[in-house]
Amino acid sequence: MRDSRWILPLALILASAIIIVPMAGCGSDADEEVVAQDEQPYRIGAVLSLSGTYAGLGAPEQKAIELEVARINESGGVNGHLIEVIIEDDATDSAAAVTAVTRLIDQEDVVAVLGATGTGATMAIRGDINAAGIPQVSPAGGTVVTSDFDPLVFQTPWSNTLVAPFTFEYLEGQGISKIALISDSGGFGKDGAAVVADLITGFDIEIVATEEFNPGDADMTAQLTKIKGSGAEAVMIVSAGKEAAIVASNMDQLGLEIPLIGTHGNARMEFIEGAGDAAEGFVFAAGKILIPESYGTDTENYEVAMDFIDRYTEAYGEAPNTFAGHAYDALHIIVDALGRVDGEVTGESLRDAIEDTSDFVGIGGTFNYSADDHNGMAASDLVMYRVEDGAWVLAE
Amino acid sequence: MGGSELLQFVISGLKNGSIYALVSLGFTIVYASTGVINFAQGEFYMLGGMFSVWAFATFGLPLWLAAIVGILLTAATGILFELLAIRPRKDGDQLSLIIITIGGSLLLSSLARHLFGPDELAIPAFTSGPSVRVFGAAIERQTLWIWGLTITAVVILNWVYNKTKLGRALRACAINRDAARLVGVDTRLIVTVSFALAAALGGLAGLSVAPLTQTAFDAGARVGVKGFAAAILGGLGNPIAAVAGGLMLGLIESMSIAYLSSTYKDAISLLVLLLVLFVRPQGLFSRSRREKV
Repeated sequence: MRDSRWILPLALILASAIIIVPMAGCGSDADEEVVAQDEQPYRIGAVLSLSGTYAGLGAPEQKAIELEVARINESGGVNGHLIEVIIEDDATDSAAAVTAVTRLIDQEDVVAVLGATGTGATMAIRGDINAAGIPQVSPAGGTVVTSDFDPLVFQTPWSNTLVAPFTFEYLEGQGISKIALISDSGGFGKDGAAVVADLITGFDIEIVATEEFNPGDADMTAQLTKIKGSGAEAVMIVSAGKEAAIVASNMDQLGLEIPLIGTHGNARMEFIEGAGDAAEGFVFAAGKILIPESYGTDTENYEVAMDFIDRYTEAYGEAPNTFAGHAYDALHIIVDALGRVDGEVTGESLRDAIEDTSDFVGIGGTFNYSADDHNGMAASDLVMYRVEDGAWVLAE
Repeated sequence: MGGSELLQFVISGLKNGSIYALVSLGFTIVYASTGVINFAQGEFYMLGGMFSVWAFATFGLPLWLAAIVGILLTAATGILFELLAIRPRKDGDQLSLIIITIGGSLLLSSLARHLFGPDELAIPAFTSGPSVRVFGAAIERQTLWIWGLTITAVVILNWVYNKTKLGRALRACAINRDAARLVGVDTRLIVTVSFALAAALGGLAGLSVAPLTQTAFDAGARVGVKGFAAAILGGLGNPIAAVAGGLMLGLIESMSIAYLSSTYKDAISLLVLLLVLFVRPQGLFSRSRREKV
């Protein structure tokens, strides 16, 4: 590099970079003005985990958002404004999520934040959301997102406080009165296990063993051997990771022939692929998107879901999973509220409009937010599934 | 606690332990020839599983061939990693080499995410069928495979180390690299070979566990930490000690689930590791290395 003949080409590259980069910027600005119908677009910031542990959740979320933004803009946007979603990757890291949301608020001047993918990152950006006074709609499933209430923060997935009692009712119906609880030590498992232990007191069911494993563990036979000796009539697992499939396989190998019950965290085909034959008979509660007919084929929910499923499948060659649905809901709840704001869109007016969301038909269910409910879902949005012949069927 | 339950805990411990053992062997082999802790070792574990799934699912190779392809591709990755990242800095100090391996680890897992996607991937068990019953305790067939492959790998490695010219060169490098070079050992080649061996062992571990756990781009980091702890527990630089350390770590974990708490099993095994290091800093099964003046 010390050689002087490198200087000229380098200078050339630098000079052309200086010229080209601003030109590229001008180009896109001009494009936007052409289609912007004289109005500035509404800018929404999205903080998603496109890499790191939750990349498997963030990727379908991104696909759903890009698909829906294109559709909304093709049909003219909201009140003459186009929608622009700026997606930032938080790499499944809370600190990176804070950096991303700071940039979105300070430099992109967004009116709302969609995100983050994970519960940890969703909680971590709350400080910035409060400082900016703009609403946040999160596709993360942790109960804490809305139980640790913040007027600015909304959530789209079914929370564990809904899923746990719904599951207990199913268990009571099956005549099960003693369960063993096994959960992962990550955010979703810890959160869910605490909710289960808290809410089970209202039911005629007793927890006779409580075990944990760490994300990444390869073998749970030790924990299950303890459960085997506990007299449990069923095992309930709270974990959204691939370890759930290991628990199912290990139970099979140990000859532990009692039902395994999961949660909406296991509503992924990867669970069935991972557990193979051991997945047969696995029961879990989740929203109705997995089998859209369960909405009732004459309902609006069914039409909305089928429309989304068809377009998503056509665009990406695979059916959307529940996480794509949570992102769809988060985006459309913001957009729906933007359409209802009277006068100027500010953080406050948009927040109020989101809180007024009622009977909004999404993928996860029908949303009704209120001043003290920012989860907005009801037990009627849930249904029990059972795994049969490597696919989901309705359990009832 | 009944006898069959205790046996089940021992089996579970030995199963995890033999996975740790294979990974910790990789740490030990590289450490012996370079004096460097290779923090990318866990990624070789991940790659072994990923490459095998890829060969099996994408190209429809039979499982045994996919497994061999997985090991060979992982070994090739190990060689490439050494040639591109380690060799250019071979005369650098050990700290910078260790940091290079940490960077390499991040690079490999990101590459795997881009090549194979973010979701978990599965391959079938090597032999299907119900688990084998021994005195009331269950052993999955795949666990028998893991044990068999671990023993085979250790026996072959032992033979290479003690009976072949390559093994003598590896050992000579481990004792004193400069002296080995003086007597005509190609130490650069030996370092490359040790990376290839370490990667192949990591890959073997990864692909033999994949039918049990599925595999994903981020599977390497945690196993890497466990394998490293096992290598330290046994004593760095000695293959037999590394295997013993791995098995011990697995047993400690499963016994802490049995008698104490599954929540704190990692904390408990770490505590045991620290206690061992206070009493025997050179590891449980290594002879203390006295500095010769």
